[in-house]
Amino acid sequence: MACFEKASPALKHILLQLYRADKPLAVEHHLHEFGSLQYHIQSYVSEAHHAYLSISAPILSTGSSIFYGFSHYTVETVKGICSEVVQIIEPPKTGYQMTLKLDFSKITRKKDAVKIITKISSVQALILSSQLRELLTTVNAQEISQGAYKPIKLVYHPNEPFYVVKQPAKLTVVFPIRFKEYSDIVIAKAFFQELVDVGNSRVCATAPPCCWSPIPPPELRGESMKDLSTNGGFVSFEIYARHIEGKKLDKTVWNLLNFYALVKYHVKCTKGFVQRRMRSRLDSLVEALQHTGTEEDHHIAKVKGRKGIKKLIKFTKGTILTKRWNLTKKIKRIRSRIRIRWFQRRWLKLPSFSSVMRYQKLDKS
Amino acid sequence: MKPTLAQLVERRTVVGAVILRSLVRIRQGSSVRLYLTCIRNTLEAAMCLQNFPCQEVERHNKPEVEMKTSPELLLNPVVICRNEAEKCLIETSINSLRISLKVKQADELENILTKKFLRFLSMRAEAFEVLRRKPVQGYDISFLITNYHCEEMQKHKLIDFIVQFMEDIDKEISELKLSVNTRGRLVATEFLKQFI
Repeated sequence: MACFEKASPALKHILLQLYRADKPLAVEHHLHEFGSLQYHIQSYVSEAHHAYLSISAPILSTGSSIFYGFSHYTVETVKGICSEVVQIIEPPKTGYQMTLKLDFSKITRKKDAVKIITKISSVQALILSSQLRELLTTVNAQEISQGAYKPIKLVYHPNEPFYVVKQPAKLTVVFPIRFKEYSDIVIAKAFFQELVDVGNSRVCATAPPCCWSPIPPPELRGESMKDLSTNGGFVSFEIYARHIEGKKLDKTVWNLLNFYALVKYHVKCTKGFVQRRMRSRLDSLVEALQHTGTEEDHHIAKVKGRKGIKKLIKFTKGTILTKRWNLTKKIKRIRSRIRIRWFQRRWLKLPSFSSVMRYQKLDKS
Repeated sequence: MKPTLAQLVERRTVVGAVILRSLVRIRQGSSVRLYLTCIRNTLEAAMCLQNFPCQEVERHNKPEVEMKTSPELLLNPVVICRNEAEKCLIETSINSLRISLKVKQADELENILTKKFLRFLSMRAEAFEVLRRKPVQGYDISFLITNYHCEEMQKHKLIDFIVQFMEDIDKEISELKLSVNTRGRLVATEFLKQFI
């Protein structure tokens, strides 16, 4: 769903171009990222140093209810990027959830420009994480006190829902894993096994405990069968208070949002690695077979394999044509009548030879 | 400082496990060697092929092991088994020899890696000359050696190639499995480190 890099490289490039332009440009760009993310960038010649950025991001839904538009918390977070440069326009452009007016003239120092534009380019990451962050922080306190730890289903992408179960001491995030291909499932399972092993090791002792099981965890009891039917099992992370303290909250939320993308990326890279390895191995195996030729062949090859002869025989097309031209000239000269000084008025004819192939009829007389 | 009883027990267990592992490895190594030697000897005996025109169709020369038109031209097939998952079928006829291999697949990962690799090789059978595009049923990969191959190549080197191929496939699958797991471990470590 989300990408590993927070800032969108294409958006950053376009915004930097607009900022660095000597004269105002009339520009209109439509960008699509990760299937569900859309950007619209527009700038007018009449409005120098200004650009309009409209965003349409997948909206977080909790399974039963869908939030239309961005919440107040998300809007406030976006406003906090750089309030001088970024201004939210109401109402947003039709078809988009948010439109931002960017005032590049407010960027006083050139050194800060790249930093600020990178921040603006990472607005989608901010929107996505703020929704999840808000949900985690403002979870219904009454529900917890009642002891009914009902899982919250989060859907950013219809095929990739995940669950958050809030408990008094910890938060459990459960990812149901589904893949289309069997080989992908096997590679992913090997990865989850390693993830569990590393999570239990001393190196990552303070990291959130992770577990993988082929059957749904008890926290998801009561969920619909459709949601619980997977082919890759369930990966769950237990998030404690220490993982969402201060600055760690952002990282934790971003990592959880990226988990699906990370698994898919790992599977894809592993498959590529296996393919590369097989290709290199093929060459060595074929080479082994090539050495099985008979000894005679080797001997013949050695005698035949003189490159010098090949070089002598090799002619360019031009040389061949000239040689042929010279040869035809010679033939013509041979076949033409020969001129002898003392017999100037008489031409000496070459005797005509009868061809071997030609049949001559003998006279009877 | 004297070690405690628990420590002593633990140390003995560890030493015992190491010895057991090395013994298993030695036994495995020797069993592989025996298995490969057996295949080599059988191949040496079986690879005495000669030119033999087809008895059914005039001016045709077909591998009898594939056609199986005349039973008198076929020898008894030999199956050499290391275990249930690892075996080799050698079918011989007057002018051709078919070797089919079943490679061990201990778990799901080894299974997909073996399938991927052997399919990859089968798809490029023209590069090997002696490799069959489709394996015999129940086996993972098959070779077809005709009398022409024996004339073109040296017999003992061809046998060496088959045995080397078997060794290489096993080695490659193990290495691939190890690499995939190592990659997974590295990615997992990096992912979890971000939470710390």
